[in-house]
Amino acid sequence: MNYEKVNTIAYNLHLIKTNKFKNIKIKINFKRKMVKEEIVYRNMLVNLLMESTKNYPNARLIEIASEDMYNVGFGSNSSSSGNFHIMSFECNFLNEKYTEEGMNEKSLQFFLDFIFNPNVDDEGFNEKAFNISKSILRDDIVSYDDSPGRYSNTKLLELMVPKTPLSYNSFGYIEDLEKVNSKNLYEYYQNVLKKDLIDIFVIGDIDKNEIKKLIKDNFKIKTLKKENSNHFLENKKYKSRFHVVKETKELEQSILLMGYKLEQMTKKEKMYVSYMYSYILGGGPDSKLFKIVREKNSLCYSISASIYGVSDLMIIRSGINAKDANKAIKLIKQQVKKMQKGEFDLEDIEKARTTYLSSLKGLEDYPSSILNMYVSKEYLDYDVATERLKEIEKVTKEDIINLAKKIHPDTIFILEGSK
Amino acid sequence: MKKIPLSKVDVDVFYEKLDNGLEVYISPKNNVNNIYVTYSTKYGSNQNDFVPIGKNKMITVPLGIAHFLEHQLFNQEDGTDVMTFFSERGTDVNANTNKIKTTYLFSGPDFFEENLKFLLEYVEKPYFTDDSVQKEKGIIEQEIKMYQDKPFTRLYEGITYNAFHKHPIKYPVIGTIESINKITKEDLYTCYNTFYHPSNMVLVITGNVDCEKTIEIIKEHENKRNLEKAKPIKLETYNEEDTVAKKSEEINLNVTIPKVAIAFKINVEKLKKVPKTEITTYLQMLFSLKLGVTSEFGEKLKEERIITTSIDSYVLDADKHALVIVATESKEPKEFIKRVKKYLVDLTITEEELERRKKAYISEALFASDRIIRINHKIMNNVVKYNKLFTNDIEIIESYNIDKMNYIIKNINLDNYTNYIVNPLK
Repeated sequence: MNYEKVNTIAYNLHLIKTNKFKNIKIKINFKRKMVKEEIVYRNMLVNLLMESTKNYPNARLIEIASEDMYNVGFGSNSSSSGNFHIMSFECNFLNEKYTEEGMNEKSLQFFLDFIFNPNVDDEGFNEKAFNISKSILRDDIVSYDDSPGRYSNTKLLELMVPKTPLSYNSFGYIEDLEKVNSKNLYEYYQNVLKKDLIDIFVIGDIDKNEIKKLIKDNFKIKTLKKENSNHFLENKKYKSRFHVVKETKELEQSILLMGYKLEQMTKKEKMYVSYMYSYILGGGPDSKLFKIVREKNSLCYSISASIYGVSDLMIIRSGINAKDANKAIKLIKQQVKKMQKGEFDLEDIEKARTTYLSSLKGLEDYPSSILNMYVSKEYLDYDVATERLKEIEKVTKEDIINLAKKIHPDTIFILEGSK
Repeated sequence: MKKIPLSKVDVDVFYEKLDNGLEVYISPKNNVNNIYVTYSTKYGSNQNDFVPIGKNKMITVPLGIAHFLEHQLFNQEDGTDVMTFFSERGTDVNANTNKIKTTYLFSGPDFFEENLKFLLEYVEKPYFTDDSVQKEKGIIEQEIKMYQDKPFTRLYEGITYNAFHKHPIKYPVIGTIESINKITKEDLYTCYNTFYHPSNMVLVITGNVDCEKTIEIIKEHENKRNLEKAKPIKLETYNEEDTVAKKSEEINLNVTIPKVAIAFKINVEKLKKVPKTEITTYLQMLFSLKLGVTSEFGEKLKEERIITTSIDSYVLDADKHALVIVATESKEPKEFIKRVKKYLVDLTITEEELERRKKAYISEALFASDRIIRINHKIMNNVVKYNKLFTNDIEIIESYNIDKMNYIIKNINLDNYTNYIVNPLK
């Protein structure tokens, strides 16, 4: 594997050369600091742009063209990461070694058409396509709270880190959506092309010079971009005890979320120690929480602990019976305390390491997961696979205890089932 | 081992049939980390009437027993938990049963030798007790109930049931609450001893493995079992009629938009000029070209709001019949059925459409050849279904042509069909 980053004034091009795969995968990320009102615009764009282009004005014609080019695949999504909002566009095609000469360029052009040749008329985006996308997004926003897991997660984050990007509904808000029309969306899109920070990732058995030239010739953005903000979110204040909030909803099962804030983690902690910690505490059927809260005391259906490196937060999630909430909370607190006191075995650490290594090695078998490692490298300065293999070996019990001591209670949210 | 290259995809497969009849396929791929192993028996819900090993009378066992047996094999006499064994080694483990096979599998980068030996061991050592069988009934009953709430499962299972008279493909893999409650420990041993004999099984290993070393481990393990090759298992054959068992059915479930399906039961025995192995693919291509996302018909129905999603078509293989199930979500299910029938009177497709679809299929086959899971499944499915490994998939797709397609179009009969609608609750 061989990696090269090319900086141009308008975008970064990341080339990952490997002969492991017969396909070439391209991912283009547009990112900017997240603004609450803009979330709906960006969600609209990731849908609308992929639905039609000037050359292929509907889904059927796009599909026919894609089959004709040996099933070139494409997709898009929007997400948030730390302080940023990211729109991703992806495309996946067979290396032309396996099809026909010239297919690499053709496939790339087909893909870039979605971005540079959208289905617009004088007024803005094509009205018919615009309205379909808008009604899909409206449905998504309205049904956002239908999923109890998603609802309680957002609720917890609103309580813990109010008015930060982390607390926003990922589809955006209805009041903002009502203001979007085909014209101002197109204007916003022009602004995206000018202002968003752009990273292009390419993985496959590529000729680097060929790809550089193809991107240079076909990627029509030349404006200067500057990084304007820190990717990571930081905690400023810590509590000494939990603030507890309860809500009731018509559900069979209740949900218990316990949110903790961490003092600023080091890179090693974000990448490795937090994995080991959360695996031992609540990572699987072998974890402390699973064994004590579920198996021994039968207080929950499911339980897990996750630490988020980008935001220095930990969330423990559990599906429980409403009446068991207090007992479960007490047991969970005890287990978190035990981690601080170092009451876990070297065997636990080794199991966590085995699982880490096994899933890391698994990641290296897929182009998309390799590519995503380089996305994390670019955005978060995270290590890639070869470094990860070495670094995970260095995590000690001491490291895990030190991390445990950085964890402070913050907010408990209980969504009580009333059925 | 015998080397069998798969042409045009840079994949080599090594093959050996052991003395006890077990077929072993290994396809090393050294630029990946993972190893993927499937251990399968040619035994699924279709093999419900058979002559047990060592006997001479045909018997019928309760529906759903193959799947039940799969669950029960996870019981170990010494109490070892199969899931924990693999999870402690960072390995994923699973099992599944379908109409024609049962598969036990694991996947992971490390501890390969231990994992492989353990897989062989736990699949080869059944331990069923009255108690464990009783417990399992409760668990599977829950599973059946869970499926009963799933609209698409009900749609596909319901329409398949109505399409056939006798062929066991009619029944859901999981069985019914009534049938699984009849299963006894003795039934399980009868099925196990008949179908889990090495002569009826295939072991497929793909990924980062050393071929020579691996086959030695397997041989050493298998030789200890002291089993001889078994004779082929005698299975019932079914004289299935061309007509459908029931012409239409509607049920009510908790759905917002109705789900609808039409299934065409096609006698494929008459299509002598096209190899049986290719007919399914031709039918799949034909129906998805006529109705799928690239068809004007589908687009028009969407624009008229008759359907709310694209139309899926799916071909089920039932010996001398193929069942083509066409399904979608529709606010006007009856109108949808009417339109499809009227439209399919003309099955013509163009050569251009066929050639385009072939490109997509070729590309799929090439993509698949990068994935150890897909290579593994290809080998396993070939062997389970056809008792042989196809080595030239790409050439086969390339050989598809409009003449053969037209021959099929001319000789199939769409008069035998059945409809199924899942309506919202009243």
